[in-house]
Amino acid sequence: MTTDATTQTQPEAELAQLIVETLNLDQSPAGINPEAPLYGEGLGLDSIDMLEIALAVSQRFAVNLRADQEDNAEIFKSLRALNAYIQAHREP
Amino acid sequence: MTASRAQEWVTRAERGSLPLIRLGVWTTRILGRRVARLLLYPLCLYFLASSPSALRHSGAYLRRVLGRRPRLKDYFRHFLTFARCLLDRVFLLGEQTDAFEITVHGEEILHDIEQQGGGCLLFGAHFGSFEVARAVGRRRGDLPISLLMYEENAQKIRAALAAINPRLAAEVIGLGRLDSLILVAERLQRGHFIGVLADRNVAGTDLVRYDFLGKPAAFPQGPFRMAMLLRRPLVMMVGVYRGGRRYEVHFELLAEPMARPQDGQAWIDDAMRAYAARLEHYCRAAPYNWFNFYDFWA
Repeated sequence: MTTDATTQTQPEAELAQLIVETLNLDQSPAGINPEAPLYGEGLGLDSIDMLEIALAVSQRFAVNLRADQEDNAEIFKSLRALNAYIQAHREP
Repeated sequence: MTASRAQEWVTRAERGSLPLIRLGVWTTRILGRRVARLLLYPLCLYFLASSPSALRHSGAYLRRVLGRRPRLKDYFRHFLTFARCLLDRVFLLGEQTDAFEITVHGEEILHDIEQQGGGCLLFGAHFGSFEVARAVGRRRGDLPISLLMYEENAQKIRAALAAINPRLAAEVIGLGRLDSLILVAERLQRGHFIGVLADRNVAGTDLVRYDFLGKPAAFPQGPFRMAMLLRRPLVMMVGVYRGGRRYEVHFELLAEPMARPQDGQAWIDDAMRAYAARLEHYCRAAPYNWFNFYDFWA
């Protein structure tokens, strides 16, 4: 499968679906640019939204996101980055 | 003085510019509490004469809570109570709690929560002294209380704390990072208590109106949505100034953690209604402790 930078992969699409449902976003999951920032400008999410995503992700994928991780800014940078982190850390 | 400058004073007096805070802290410590308190009289008279905006909003509030037209001495008492609470913060932050007579109500609630393990959220308001309530928490020994606030305020308060009591600076969590609340969730898990001033409705985008002293006033939904997600007990924490060196601290359970995830919005609504009702109760019990000097019913 070939993907360009703005096409969601299958797992990314599922994660986008989870985010939109969790936050009741007024936007289609497929419309989220996987490279765009989630927090602040980009999707315009605030720190309460990020908490909600972290809780939903840990419930769905059994991946714990912790605040003492220095690279949270990297992990939550975009849909793509978050998905990559989940795939690397989820329970088999 | 224009209205906006008067408003600025109120915000400033509370958050303060750093050199001013340093000067205030220094003067207060040199003079001691008794002499510094005397200086508050001319200071309050000056502000009474020079801050028409703060005066107007004080009047609008006092009329509601007292149920009559406020007299000059009511205004003065309102300003003076505010100034005294501010002054005492210097001593409370310096952990000189022995200088005060503090009675505590509802402390068993905190005890129960500690027994169960995990922390809780302590919701206060710009009412009386949040600091005296935090001091009670600290006095209990190893009970860590963090304060959650807007990033801009957090930076100023951290800087001010560095001048008063650097050990406390780490207890301030700013909302400016994407993982700010993930940090809060973690601290709660480790048994921390997290303090939030949940009444400020300025510049909020998620405001909901609840009846407050006879007229609907806007309250921010954000802190309550956060509490709903974190699933920890929600406790109201109020430090009432009773004059002289007397303070009264109240803890009361506002809401148990939400039982079923589908009840989110109803839980938020109940918690906000309870918060507004209890805040009104404390305003009636100690009217001059209200420190929102802007149009709260806007």
